[in-house]
Amino acid sequence: MNLALLEASGFRNLSGSLSGQPGLNFLWGQNGQGKTSWLEAIAILGSTKSFRTHHLSETVTFGGQAAHLTAEVHRRSRVEKLEIHLEGSQKHLFINSKRVSVGDFLGHLDSFLYSREEMAIVRGEPGERRRFMDRGVLSLKPGYVQILADYNRTLKQKNALLKTVGEDGTRPPQFNDLLDVWNVQMVEHGTAIHRARTEYVNQLNQVLDARLFGNETVTVRYQSSLEGRGDLANYAKLITERLQVRREAEIAAGHALIGPHRDDLEILADGKDVAKFGSSGQQRSALLVLELAQLNLYHRHFDEYPLFLLDDIDAELDRDRIRTLLDHLEGQVQVFVTTSKKTLAEEYTGRAALSQIVSGQALTAVLIEN
Amino acid sequence: MSEFAEPIAKLIDEFKRLPGIGHKSAQRLAFHILRTTSEDVERLAAALRDVKERITFCSTCHNMTDVDPCRYCTNPNRDQKLLCVVEEAHNLLAVERTGEYRGLYHVLHGALSPMRGIGPDDLKIRSLLERLRTLEVEEIILATNPTTEGEATANYVGRLLKPLGIKVTRIAMGLPVGSDLEYADEVTMHKAMTYRHEI
Repeated sequence: MNLALLEASGFRNLSGSLSGQPGLNFLWGQNGQGKTSWLEAIAILGSTKSFRTHHLSETVTFGGQAAHLTAEVHRRSRVEKLEIHLEGSQKHLFINSKRVSVGDFLGHLDSFLYSREEMAIVRGEPGERRRFMDRGVLSLKPGYVQILADYNRTLKQKNALLKTVGEDGTRPPQFNDLLDVWNVQMVEHGTAIHRARTEYVNQLNQVLDARLFGNETVTVRYQSSLEGRGDLANYAKLITERLQVRREAEIAAGHALIGPHRDDLEILADGKDVAKFGSSGQQRSALLVLELAQLNLYHRHFDEYPLFLLDDIDAELDRDRIRTLLDHLEGQVQVFVTTSKKTLAEEYTGRAALSQIVSGQALTAVLIEN
Repeated sequence: MSEFAEPIAKLIDEFKRLPGIGHKSAQRLAFHILRTTSEDVERLAAALRDVKERITFCSTCHNMTDVDPCRYCTNPNRDQKLLCVVEEAHNLLAVERTGEYRGLYHVLHGALSPMRGIGPDDLKIRSLLERLRTLEVEEIILATNPTTEGEATANYVGRLLKPLGIKVTRIAMGLPVGSDLEYADEVTMHKAMTYRHEI
């Protein structure tokens, strides 16, 4: 899929339109001019969510009433017009001027983002990596959202039940039966999550370009919290056993200790944990390798590439890595890159569409004239 | 903004307490009431009073009723060997609308939810067990909702009933009739595949 034209009004400080070409698109500009906001607009048109805020209403220009985003998307021979209208807490979605539901709106302009915040996937808490896996699964199987919701709901209910145990260990009536009942669903939904993530990480390893950025080999490994406790191939049986063995410990702790909400993803360079032993350059490389693998997996699944958004690329990567990355992507994936370095954008004159962002407006080809 | 005269403001406030009614809807309803005739308003007031005075819950099955025990419990034509357990009274109506089910009912008045502090004693589970002592039921159908709470409740009730030696079944889950497989979400499809049957 390719974004050909993006129009914004009433959205943050943006105005006018941004045109895209298949391949590389550079957005160059000083800080605070709105480069990232254009990327945000693309992401919102794809997912109806922002990577900057949980409240879309915050994206409406300060003092304004409503924001309107329109995208012209080319998919093979088809052209689609996607629109989002934000007003108050409401969002209205349109495809080819026809109002549609969120479910129907998704999947027409998928994008993956690489930004400074994404480094948390490598360096941050295991929760960041679980979300990375879950987002990946969701990009291929939208129905996974229900499994996640059911598991999280069950987990909350179980934790609430465990909290009813008194400080002195007194248990409310029927406590044991009730715990059993919630554990049944921990097993059912937990097994579904474990299966989906395992399969996803296996696929990721198959498509990742492990040595893209140099000599070390990047791999990932799904690390179940039940590892070393028995046969993971029969997860349902294993988690059932562990829930039984750790039952008293869970009651004492007052929250659930067993389940895929405690799992992690190991990101390895030459077999070593890159968060612990890698340099910051190696960590960035590893993350990029993973993001690119997600693009490949998406392509394998849907036979087309999503967009790739690279925010503030020169702050994150050195020139060699940028060259390797953009050479790798060129000709396959439509990429939108933001940078504050004019020289970097100039390096790609002729190969990339260049837009200078000034006060929210995208001005075309200013660089070439300078 | 100047305020409405007190009686109107009071009515708007009352409407706002109803589920699904916001400030604007409440205002619209209040002004509608103002415009209608006294007879219409009397009828509405009487209906409200009536429902509180005359509708109670059946002491046997806990369904909503104006006679106790309710018409489902006392109807001799209903199959006394079948009992269907539902969460709420409106769920009972959903089952009843099929016209297929001719057995008895039991309304639990909710589902287990530790988050909301709802345990077995807050549901009509004990009275279900007591009912089973006198009834000669052969099958109990657990028709709680297909949510995590509904599943947990069905599971819990199922465990209690097992020692009684009565056949306990859970309603099937799967695809909505008259739709297309294409529109089924994965979980529903998965359930439909799991609980498939031979033809």
